[in-house]
Amino acid sequence: MQELLGRLSALDPGASLGLRVIACFDELVVGNVNSRALLSAAASLAGCNAGYCQDLPSRTMRVTPRGELVDEPPVAPPAGSSATADGLTVWIERSGPAHANDAIILERLALSMRIRHGRGRRDLDSRRALGLVLDRAVPVEDRRTAATRLGLAPGTRHRVVAAPLFAVWDEHPTAAEDVVPTPYGPIHALVVPHDHPPIAAGPIGVGVATTVEHLPRSFRTAVVALRLCAPPETPAVDADHYGGLIGLLADLPPDADQPDVDALAEVMVAPWGPPTVDALVRAGSVRQAARLAGVHHSTLQQRLDGIGDTLGFDPFDDGISRTRLGIAYLAWRLRTSRVLDLPAPGRSRP
Amino acid sequence: MSVTRPGFDPELKAGLAVVGGVFPPTITPDLIGFMRRSYASPPIEETLRAKAIERSDHTIAGHGGDAVAVSVLRPAGLSDARPGVLFVHSGGLMFGDRFSGADLVLAWVETLGAVLVTVEYRLAPEHPDPYPREDCYAALEWVAANAQRLGVRRDRLLVAGASSGGGLAAGMALAARDRGGPALCGQVLDYPMLDDRGVTASTGQFDGVGVWDRVSNETGWTALLGDTRGGPDVSPYAAPARALDLGGLPPAFIDVGAAEIFRDEAIAYAGRIWAAGGDAELHVWSGGFHAFDIFAPHTGLARGMVRARDAWVEKVLAD
Repeated sequence: MQELLGRLSALDPGASLGLRVIACFDELVVGNVNSRALLSAAASLAGCNAGYCQDLPSRTMRVTPRGELVDEPPVAPPAGSSATADGLTVWIERSGPAHANDAIILERLALSMRIRHGRGRRDLDSRRALGLVLDRAVPVEDRRTAATRLGLAPGTRHRVVAAPLFAVWDEHPTAAEDVVPTPYGPIHALVVPHDHPPIAAGPIGVGVATTVEHLPRSFRTAVVALRLCAPPETPAVDADHYGGLIGLLADLPPDADQPDVDALAEVMVAPWGPPTVDALVRAGSVRQAARLAGVHHSTLQQRLDGIGDTLGFDPFDDGISRTRLGIAYLAWRLRTSRVLDLPAPGRSRP
Repeated sequence: MSVTRPGFDPELKAGLAVVGGVFPPTITPDLIGFMRRSYASPPIEETLRAKAIERSDHTIAGHGGDAVAVSVLRPAGLSDARPGVLFVHSGGLMFGDRFSGADLVLAWVETLGAVLVTVEYRLAPEHPDPYPREDCYAALEWVAANAQRLGVRRDRLLVAGASSGGGLAAGMALAARDRGGPALCGQVLDYPMLDDRGVTASTGQFDGVGVWDRVSNETGWTALLGDTRGGPDVSPYAAPARALDLGGLPPAFIDVGAAEIFRDEAIAYAGRIWAAGGDAELHVWSGGFHAFDIFAPHTGLARGMVRARDAWVEKVLAD
């Protein structure tokens, strides 16, 4: 993977490789992989052997960048590229000057090995504090403690900003930040004050403002907002814009039965489907929708009739029907969201 | 309906955090240029450094007599006739070069003493069907015709390829059978791209996740076949799943991930070879995304895949 990291930085010199290293080890910890797998990943990322040793019981392992075990007796851990904590030492065998990502690889390897071996606690590491703060399954007292460690004072209001690892930051706020595992993959999360000015970055989702105790909710709304992004047209979405709707969407189980969304998906197969439905949801009348969609109102009326047939209700029948269409449209956008799958960094850059 | 699908192996899932930046899950035509840069192979001199392998480059007559480059990688110091491998590279028919993924097959040169020939077949969409497959077939005939000069045993010639290269290798085996071409002792089809129709269950399961999803596959096949993709007039040498008869083929080794779109077409191809009385060995790797041995060779799953493949090749090729 060192070679892949090299390609990444050649394709996009501004790409944050450190975050990718963090996300990589996060997934390994979530997957509960063994010591060899952790050392293989570190060696592969570094492009040189990685190893670990412990005292009680005495055990040593060295692994090549190809994941093969090295039989030879271990060399002494190289100074400057080893880390010891809780009776466990890890190292990478770099000959020559350290590479840019060595420190972060070593840090994540040490942390992952300690967790795998049941030594130390996750929260020994300050970066992990944000994962605790954003996890509603963590007792609120522990979240408060972790928030204090991050400098988030009780009583203050903040928002979580969610971004993919490959987001482009024209401006990067100074904030508590980390990579947090989610069902949609690792997400880059930052906590900014509630009145932070708009951030020049994309794609990003900005969560609702909450007190420190409710930051898990801000995070969940931020992830929904992020998934509603559709760059380049919509590089950033603010959860506030959708008010209470975003909370509904955030609480929707991923496997929820949604017949309105299934029916709407049939409409969206047609090339005119998405722009037409978008216009219908935004407009107050057929004429206004026609103007937004850039088509004649008779064309729009025709499409509206077809949409009504497919959905089984007329979206302009009454307020409830409009709401049904609006919610189905947002849920459809989430279901078909591609914003987390757009990691080609050089794509939009010269 | 939300899609259910088998999950990725944890080590591979971790690898995706890095792989995703180089190889996005969904490749649309506007990304072909980016992919040609991101998937270009590292300099071959670096790959071969400190290996006892001699390389020579040749120009052969490809489809229509046009010049096509091939490289011959020979074990240094062996002058007797050696087993030969014609290798076809990966890259979705649209990108990659003849050294893409070559590091994984160099072991056959180093440890088995095989001569590896790799062909710079022309890429779609600039060169649609039949250019890629006929460039490959021309290389196969060139190896057979020049076997003596190249020091290759004509009775021990193998075709091998990964992904799009796996599909092209399978197509070569079909064409060699039908045209009375060079005899082959085996075909190694790594997660091969066999079917332009995109109708399998696994194709529908991987959309926007992993490596090479349904849309990427459509992009690749459309680049090759244009409007004829999925229609009645696609050649089985381009899309081997289209072949009506899979009898009389050389022994096949097929490996594929369980968490990739090609899972079901690879399984079906092996099944049809067996049904026709043929010889096939099939490995389906649980939790594997497409080409995981190329992107994450350090993982336990990839080491297992390479070990199984190398053992089969040793059985077929070794002295």
